[in-house]
Amino acid sequence: MLRVDGLEVAYGDLQVVWGVSFVVPEDSIVAILGPNGAGKTTTLLAIMGLLPVKAGSASFKGNSLIGLPTHQMVERGLVMIPEERGAFTSLSVEENLELGAYTPRARTSRTETMEEVYDTFPRLAARKSQSAGTLSGGERQMLAIGKALMARPELLILDEPSLGLAPIIVEQIFDVIRDIRDRGVSVLMVEQHLEMALESADYAYILEMGSMATEGTGPELEADTRVREAYLSL
Amino acid sequence: MTQLILQSVVSGILVGGMYGLVALGLALAFGVLKVLDVAHGELLMLGGYASFFAFTFWGLDPFVSMPLVFVAMFGFGVILYLVLFRYVTRTEIHTRIKNSLLISFGLVLVLQALAVRFFTADERTISTAYSLEALTIGPVRVPVVRLAGLVVAVSAALALEWLLSRTRFGRALRATSEDWTRAALTGVNVRRVYLIAFAISAALAAIAGSLVSMGYSISPSIGLGWTLKALIVVVLAGLGSMRGIIVAGIFLGLVESLASVWLGGQYREVVALVLFLVILSFRPHGFYGRAHA
Amino acid sequence: MRRSTRLVAAIVVLDLIVAVGLISENQHVLTLAIQTMILAALAASWNILGGFAGQISLGHAAFFGLGALITRELWLGGTALALAIAAAVAVTAVAAAVVGVPILRFREIYFAIGTLALGVAVFITAGNLWPGITSLPAESLRNYRFTGPYFVALGVLVTTVVISLWLKHSKVGLGMMTVRDDEEAAKATGVNTFAHKMIAFVVSASLAALAGSAFAYFSVSYYPNFAFSVIWTFEAILVVFIGGLGTIVGPLLGSVFFIVGRDVLPTDIGEFQVVLFGLLFIVVVLLLPGGLTETATRLVETTGRRFTKTTSDEPTATKGKEPT
Repeated sequence: MLRVDGLEVAYGDLQVVWGVSFVVPEDSIVAILGPNGAGKTTTLLAIMGLLPVKAGSASFKGNSLIGLPTHQMVERGLVMIPEERGAFTSLSVEENLELGAYTPRARTSRTETMEEVYDTFPRLAARKSQSAGTLSGGERQMLAIGKALMARPELLILDEPSLGLAPIIVEQIFDVIRDIRDRGVSVLMVEQHLEMALESADYAYILEMGSMATEGTGPELEADTRVREAYLSL
Repeated sequence: MTQLILQSVVSGILVGGMYGLVALGLALAFGVLKVLDVAHGELLMLGGYASFFAFTFWGLDPFVSMPLVFVAMFGFGVILYLVLFRYVTRTEIHTRIKNSLLISFGLVLVLQALAVRFFTADERTISTAYSLEALTIGPVRVPVVRLAGLVVAVSAALALEWLLSRTRFGRALRATSEDWTRAALTGVNVRRVYLIAFAISAALAAIAGSLVSMGYSISPSIGLGWTLKALIVVVLAGLGSMRGIIVAGIFLGLVESLASVWLGGQYREVVALVLFLVILSFRPHGFYGRAHA
Repeated sequence: MRRSTRLVAAIVVLDLIVAVGLISENQHVLTLAIQTMILAALAASWNILGGFAGQISLGHAAFFGLGALITRELWLGGTALALAIAAAVAVTAVAAAVVGVPILRFREIYFAIGTLALGVAVFITAGNLWPGITSLPAESLRNYRFTGPYFVALGVLVTTVVISLWLKHSKVGLGMMTVRDDEEAAKATGVNTFAHKMIAFVVSASLAALAGSAFAYFSVSYYPNFAFSVIWTFEAILVVFIGGLGTIVGPLLGSVFFIVGRDVLPTDIGEFQVVLFGLLFIVVVLLLPGGLTETATRLVETTGRRFTKTTSDEPTATKGKEPT
């Protein structure tokens, strides 16, 4: 579904990503793991058109993403939830969800999607008219996911979904992520939380200092002792 | 003495409404695009001239021509954005503010010089049949034209508030104000939001200009004076906030007016300046604003 | 260029300027020269605050105007010129110090807005308080000689350049530049950022007043509030940016370019001059932050490299002082 080949990203003279390649097939969860500063977020932002791509290609459902304006990617079904939640604190919960269905394609089924989202996240329904700034960390993450779902994505990208959340909440979030995959939406996630990611992911890549170090299925990487040693501290 | 003070209060409120209207556009442009356009006052000036010439050459009452001026300056705002400010928005926010300040500074001189060349440096006022009419409420005289200005200002603020809180586009505007990358990831066409927000801002300045040409007077050099007032109001209300702008404007108008009674009208600007510096020193985020990114 | 070459070049130029002042009878040339020197001095003074300390002030004309006002009033009232100028500079310095206390605490854009507000407010108030034109009395008009104003302007310019030079190579100046480059980091290393900004502010304002004094002495008749007009701020900033922000030679080069350029333009375009320079300003801010100085330096470097055989891998230097 999403195919990235030899992606290179640089901030002016400083190159951060050196020839990254990966694939996200349909109906799967793919994780990109790696330590801080490895270039994971940079890769995602470049794919989504928020950072200039120095070289390489990225395509979604066969169509190239390079040079495409970000909002059109959302229209095509590629949605990303950035780090630190994707919700707007100056809007209410309901307004955030309404905004989530901004693209024409998503707007047509806005009412039904909103009902589905409220079903999946009853806590949000209870806080409909509250400002998003008053929500707890976990609730805000749920709102971000709910808002992303309003856009009716075919592939959902999550940047560090577990960041700053309590373990119980993290479990809930990953349940939701698996549920999303089961409903036919592919997931690409960037994570530092190795264990949870490997448990849920169908396939994973390890990014180190801007290039791919290793890849494999969840169980394969879990078994790989080098991986365990390198990232056990995280 | 009481009569003088009461009259000052009324004048202060009336001119304050105008300050608020001018500030509305500036706040919109800054809030959404994070661009500080100090040539905002020049857009007011151009709007005033548009009204004036529509009146002089076609006999159009300025209230009738106001929607036309709005549309015309909306178009001009679109052009200004596409030709100039679009490039300014290509940089990240920090540089953007500084660059837009400098660049619009240059724009001030360009527009002023063009105005002098085409309109001459003479002061102009629109004098309609009702220009000198005033309501008399007790000891106080309320010029009808300036009162209408206040009404327009309040209406514009309400309309803008409605746009922001009740429409889909308004939500997109607020989202873009908060964080444009997040807005883009939500599917918002940020470039288009910028364009429209800037154009609305220019159009708002223009109708303020129409009102100024009726209730006060216009000349090529009035721009910076109004921009300054608008800046003060925006800071008072909180840089980045769209709420409470008219109120802040009226507050400024009142303070200026009352201080002038005491100090003399020549020191009006100094009063405004001191108020400005005081607010910035103690409450840089204004009365309503939150700390913005 | 090596230090000694630069020094020789400067002396030669200075001698030329002095010669012109002593010999020339051409009023037009003398007027242009004086205008250039006044603008260069004003620009150099702005450069100290904007180029060295990195604080972009949009209200610089307030100090230029104040200096002009005080000098003019005192001098036309009978005071000796030197005393009038000294008073003007002193008063402006104090005013700057007083105003600086609140304004310099503002960061970045609030500072720019605050100075803009200052400039506009002072301009309008000056127009309110001194609406009448100020003219040299008839007798002075008949005996008007360019020599006096010429050498006063030259003296002002030389003073400003010398102070700039000294600052640039002094510890204080270094402190200012660290504030410019990264204020937080400077504070962290123990630099008293407020003090440095204040020094830059007061010195810059005083030198602006000095330039204003030269203007007051040179001008035959004008409206007092003209010296407070934002046009002066604009021209100073434009000239600094064209010439090269933060350099010593920049304001000088830029002023020559501006005044000569303006003179060379056909007279029938009238007001469009300002339009042209306004557009130039916008272009320069957007595209060419290093100005002429940087362009010239690059040119010298690249032609120099063509004659030497060294091949180096050094990365192209990042652009000079950016207006950030």
